[in-house]
Amino acid sequence: MAHIELINITKRYGDFLAIPQQNLSIADGEFLVLLGPSGCGKTTTMRMIAGLEEITSGELRIGGECVNDKPPKDRDIAMVFQNYGLYPHMTVAENIGYPLKLRGVEKNERARQVEEVCRKVELDKHMHRRPAELSGGQRQRVALARAIIRRPKLFLMDEPLSNLDAKLRVTMRAELKHLHHELGVTTVYVTHDQMEAMTLADRIAVLNHGEIVQLDTPEKIYSEPADMFVADFIGSPSMNLIPGRIINGLFECDGVRVPIPFQTSVSEVVLGIRPEDLTIVSEADAHIRAPLYALELTGESTLATVRIGPTMVCARGPSDFRTEIDAPIGLKARGDRIHLFDAQTRKRLNP
Amino acid sequence: MKQTKLMWLLEQLTLVLVCIIALFPIVWMFLTAFKNGRDAYDLSLIFTPTLDNFFTVFRAPWNLGSMLMNSVIVAVSTVMISVPAAALAAYSFSRFQLRAKKTMFFAVIATQFIPAVVIVLPFFIMFRNIGLLDTTYALIVVNVAIVTPFVIWMIKGFIDAIPLDSEEAAMMDGASRLRVIRDIVLPMAAPGILTSAIFCFILTWNEFLFALILTRREAVTLPVGLVSFRTERGDLWELMSAAGVMITVPIFIMAMLIQKHFTRGMTAGAVK
Repeated sequence: MAHIELINITKRYGDFLAIPQQNLSIADGEFLVLLGPSGCGKTTTMRMIAGLEEITSGELRIGGECVNDKPPKDRDIAMVFQNYGLYPHMTVAENIGYPLKLRGVEKNERARQVEEVCRKVELDKHMHRRPAELSGGQRQRVALARAIIRRPKLFLMDEPLSNLDAKLRVTMRAELKHLHHELGVTTVYVTHDQMEAMTLADRIAVLNHGEIVQLDTPEKIYSEPADMFVADFIGSPSMNLIPGRIINGLFECDGVRVPIPFQTSVSEVVLGIRPEDLTIVSEADAHIRAPLYALELTGESTLATVRIGPTMVCARGPSDFRTEIDAPIGLKARGDRIHLFDAQTRKRLNP
Repeated sequence: MKQTKLMWLLEQLTLVLVCIIALFPIVWMFLTAFKNGRDAYDLSLIFTPTLDNFFTVFRAPWNLGSMLMNSVIVAVSTVMISVPAAALAAYSFSRFQLRAKKTMFFAVIATQFIPAVVIVLPFFIMFRNIGLLDTTYALIVVNVAIVTPFVIWMIKGFIDAIPLDSEEAAMMDGASRLRVIRDIVLPMAAPGILTSAIFCFILTWNEFLFALILTRREAVTLPVGLVSFRTERGDLWELMSAAGVMITVPIFIMAMLIQKHFTRGMTAGAVK
């Protein structure tokens, strides 16, 4: 277990600056998720920590020691790859036992530990098969077992669940969470799936264009997004973002008048409100009045989408809510859940 | 419909014709190997078969045994030196960021463009000066130089096709680069490397020009040995054929064994 520090880390590929400058400190035993869209630099960051990618400048410290020039094998890190990276010519047991073999663990002891880990990830019936004979979920578990058979200083997981089907993903997510609780090893997890990030993380680092735009707990990231990128990226369906102006403490645009409970000097703004913070009300009480564009039943609720000019606004209503398409409906925003962003800088304006 | 059937017939006929043209000399050689001296010039397919020729060639003055030994020594040594070296070079070309990598790779392949006749004389002079003329060492050096670039190119194709993930996983598991090559890359590339090794063996086994120029008595290999059956008494076709059969059969068996891998190896190298 160890404390990880990235100090002014940059990464360049020729003329292309992939990571402009990154500073990040990961506490001992923490589960940190690097979250962002494809190409935002999250995998590059992870590969630099692993030692698979050279650091252009800056310093990487693991447990207080600078490891910039250490090869991957000497960093004592275990990694789970997106495509598992199994050894196709070895059996499941040989795959899992390989890290121990490299460390010179004696054969009987190795077999004992492999069996123990296999039982933990429910692979004990498949120990003598080759990876090609396993399903995706089983292969994923082999990769995981290979990582946890030793107690490394740090776990790195590069979108380990992205190749699994939706149901298995949910199961494995819970497994990972439990495993982290059990082992207590510092973990860095890369994903573009905000749901995975929200459920697994102690803290989330949201990345965009190689920069960390917000680093905080999942609750804070969800309830106080630092800018419009984070607001839009986190949540499903994502936050409604409505451009407009502030006039006398009221946010205004076509068909929308929302009282703003705090002062701001900026007049060109974007109003952010999550679908669950909008309630369907009578037109008289409404902040937003618009004809219904679409109605989607999700099971536990109904998503009602209205159209305001070019902007779609989605609200989460009770599951029994029904009305005709194009019928006018009213929506009311919860005053304490309103987010305001500067239309120019895209930064959060809430005090 | 009628036209496609005609096309089919034409195709089959062409194939049969090509096969006959290609196989006729080989079949004739096999037949001649079992004929006695008089029957060798007879075009009839009916003759009394004999194994005498196969015994005669091993006796003086032909002594095919020592030539066979030379061929085996040269071919096996060439494979043993060339394939490991080529595998490491191919791995480097496939995986490392090297300065002027493309140029270097092209330079390696370009050595194959030089006609053998151009370099055979310099080789002759060089080996004469260092006293290695008419030794199997000289042939091994020359053959290693000839086949290695080709083997590098072939093995690189196979290594390119191995996903990087497994290698990186092994490094994270604690393996050094050499250990990764030994434990992960070589086993995964084994079919390709075996194919390349056999190909390398065949090339060396059949090599004629250098063996002809660089050897005289001691280090003569089988293909050159065949020439000795052209005597002042005329061409001894039945002995030449018997020796020919012995040169061909091992290659034939190997080619059959690797045929499947071989085609795959060629495309793997070509497409990447």
